[in-house]
Amino acid sequence: MQPKHVLDGYRVLDLTQYLAGPAATNLMVQMGAEVIKVEIGPHGEPVRNFPFCRDGRSGYFIQQNRGKKSLCLDPKTPEGLDIIKQLLKHCDVFIENFAPGVVGRLGLSWDVVRELNPEIIMCSISAFGQQGPLAAYPGFDYIAQAYAAVSDLIGEPDRAPSMPMLAFGDVGTGVHALTAIGYALLERARDGGGQWLDISLLDSYFHYHEVSVQAYSASGGKVQPHRSGSHHYAVGPSGIFKAKDGHLMILALLHQWSPLCRAMGREDLIADPKFVDNDARMVNREEMIAIIEAWLQTLPSDAAALEILEGARIPCAPILSVPEAMAHPHMIERRTVRTIDDRILGKFQIPGMPLRFSKYEVDENIQAPLLGEHNAEILQRFLRYSPEQVRDLESRNVLFSKPV
Amino acid sequence: MQPKHMMEGYRILDFTQFLAGPTTTRLLAEMGAEVIKVELAPAGDPTHQLPHRRAGRSGYYIQQNRGKKSVCVDIRNPKGLVLVKELVKSCDVLLENFSPGAIARLGLGWDVARQLNPELIMCSLSAFGQTGPLSELPGFDYIAMAVSGVMDMIGDPDQPPYFPMLGIGDVSAGVHALAAINAALLYRYKTGRGQYIDISLLDSYFHSHEINVQAYSGSKGKIVPRRSGHHHYAAAPLGLFKCRDGYLFMVVMARQWVPLCKAMGRDDLVDNPNYDTNAKRVQNRLEIVAIIEDWLRDYDRDDALRLLEDMHVPVAPVLSVPEAMEHPHLIEREVVRTIHDRGYGDLQIPGIPLRFSDFPEPLDLQAPYLGEHNREVFSQFAGVTVAEVAALEAEGVLVSEPLPAGVATIASV
Repeated sequence: MQPKHVLDGYRVLDLTQYLAGPAATNLMVQMGAEVIKVEIGPHGEPVRNFPFCRDGRSGYFIQQNRGKKSLCLDPKTPEGLDIIKQLLKHCDVFIENFAPGVVGRLGLSWDVVRELNPEIIMCSISAFGQQGPLAAYPGFDYIAQAYAAVSDLIGEPDRAPSMPMLAFGDVGTGVHALTAIGYALLERARDGGGQWLDISLLDSYFHYHEVSVQAYSASGGKVQPHRSGSHHYAVGPSGIFKAKDGHLMILALLHQWSPLCRAMGREDLIADPKFVDNDARMVNREEMIAIIEAWLQTLPSDAAALEILEGARIPCAPILSVPEAMAHPHMIERRTVRTIDDRILGKFQIPGMPLRFSKYEVDENIQAPLLGEHNAEILQRFLRYSPEQVRDLESRNVLFSKPV
Repeated sequence: MQPKHMMEGYRILDFTQFLAGPTTTRLLAEMGAEVIKVELAPAGDPTHQLPHRRAGRSGYYIQQNRGKKSVCVDIRNPKGLVLVKELVKSCDVLLENFSPGAIARLGLGWDVARQLNPELIMCSLSAFGQTGPLSELPGFDYIAMAVSGVMDMIGDPDQPPYFPMLGIGDVSAGVHALAAINAALLYRYKTGRGQYIDISLLDSYFHSHEINVQAYSGSKGKIVPRRSGHHHYAAAPLGLFKCRDGYLFMVVMARQWVPLCKAMGRDDLVDNPNYDTNAKRVQNRLEIVAIIEDWLRDYDRDDALRLLEDMHVPVAPVLSVPEAMEHPHLIEREVVRTIHDRGYGDLQIPGIPLRFSDFPEPLDLQAPYLGEHNREVFSQFAGVTVAEVAALEAEGVLVSEPLPAGVATIASV
């Protein structure tokens, strides 16, 4: 039988909430894995109330949780905990993102989990990692971003740093977790045996430093990484330039300086000692920026500037707002932005699946679960509970569900 | 026999350069895969020239290419292409990040590669993807960032946007590629079938919008996502706060508002009807920021940090890169680690962010010199003799830089 997607046949017990963990299992479910989302009763995943909400349904929740099965229970009751433990025997992956130590206090530490299922891959996601001086502190995306020296590199040098209005740290950490889980599964397929993975926001954010860490270290502190507003401090021209209508991002690194000069009709600048190489251009950065911005002002529009720059194969882009990006023909054609249809919220748009496989199309018809929607299905299928038992557990607040 | 790491036994043919693709293969090498980096003759990966450089070595190149084997080939020369095609037959994964179409024009498109090796997984990384109106355009990290609507979300509303001084998009797209390759390998393990994977910077950046896309769409344009400087537009207090000698970042959700008031000695604010819900705090954001910064005026960053930590308010000092590299937590967990390069000497780089309980020790890896493994790789996988490699090097089909005196080549197992 043809599998429905690349991870068909894998089963994941997902005890994560908010964003980083759900982003990992969101990708897994879109690759065909069966994800059982264990929500903590009575209210379940906190983001079920995150904006945008309509008719009690959250677009935020739907975006991260489509295709998952919801099992809502109280893990602090012995019966609730036992259900989790029994289900772990049927799963390939167990993923959680509580603060370090919490899952152990619940009675689900790695030592317990590996006893229950020696083949399971357990992944813990946290802000700072499972040990070390910061491990016990609470943390969200931006907290780890500040500790990772990423926030410090955004904004004007003489003013407070600026913060990005999106949580790429959480999503990025989820993708890191996905890779670790996947490679542990691949290793297990060959060598057998599960293992425990320790993934953190701080590790993932720090991993993004491609220049700063090695350059500061290797130069003995001579190279000081710093935020430098709308233009890069080390290479250029590389930055955000004021154009006729708005702003353009232009990156003319190394060999692209000459084509840029020609595109501006300024061949004279190519051999000008003030701009002859990257070092000279950094010394005379302000003058260089002024020349480029003055040229942009002579053009009738930003579109005209882009056409000239694209024609010269100089990397450039308009700085699109979110609505503009969502309306861009390239994003629509590739379904980088896609429209989904929720049973309750109706049609709306979310980001597309960023992993594209030649053998499979993305299934856009998967639905985000209602709270506890799959209580009965999961308990009957894996633990052979009768419908009466499930109803009994729901009446005693071990299981929870919220009908439409 | 216990494998030395997760991916021992897998072989990767790596045509990538700069940052996004090399990130993927760097993580594969860190997990024990054999990575054969094909560098284009005569100069190889352009990052050999990037700062910081010492003794003819680039710290940038070293960070991204430790543990890989380097062959340097003129693949526009038919003899070079033949050699590389031989390697395709012996590899599990082929990775490239040229502009879309370029690899096919070189004679190694997916149609050719799958013929050579039906179990091959081929992954292309590009700025905008292999299809669509923008696919042909050249692009780097920040270009895709601008198009994705991410850059527009950073900075003050009445000023031009900012971009972060680090390659988040490249590294992130590299990790996305790593995930897709893994899933394809798992699938191949079951079915024996290879496939082609299309990863782009733009897709990866756009994938990071957790709120903006669905909120704009779901609210039918009523919620317009916008950059809002140092403080979030949808939750408060959530942002950067000035202390006497630096900045703190605070994330105060519903439960943390009361502890924050108490930490400031402002119990009177707890019941203030102007601040008792997130919606009202967002509405009166500027007032709240003023109250908090007024309180912080008398505190050094690290003193205020301890006070807030004791109240379990999620808080962080905004560390500079040097401060982060000296932080005891980052040192203890080797989030920052020191490596030793044969030519360059000691160097600090970010640690491996994937931590496996069965393989806790990082592998001892060295970045290659250009073409260092021409002889080893082509004799092993293309049946070329040592004399033939020398002849091809004399002809310029293969290139290798001489190892400096006293630098030993890495013996392979």
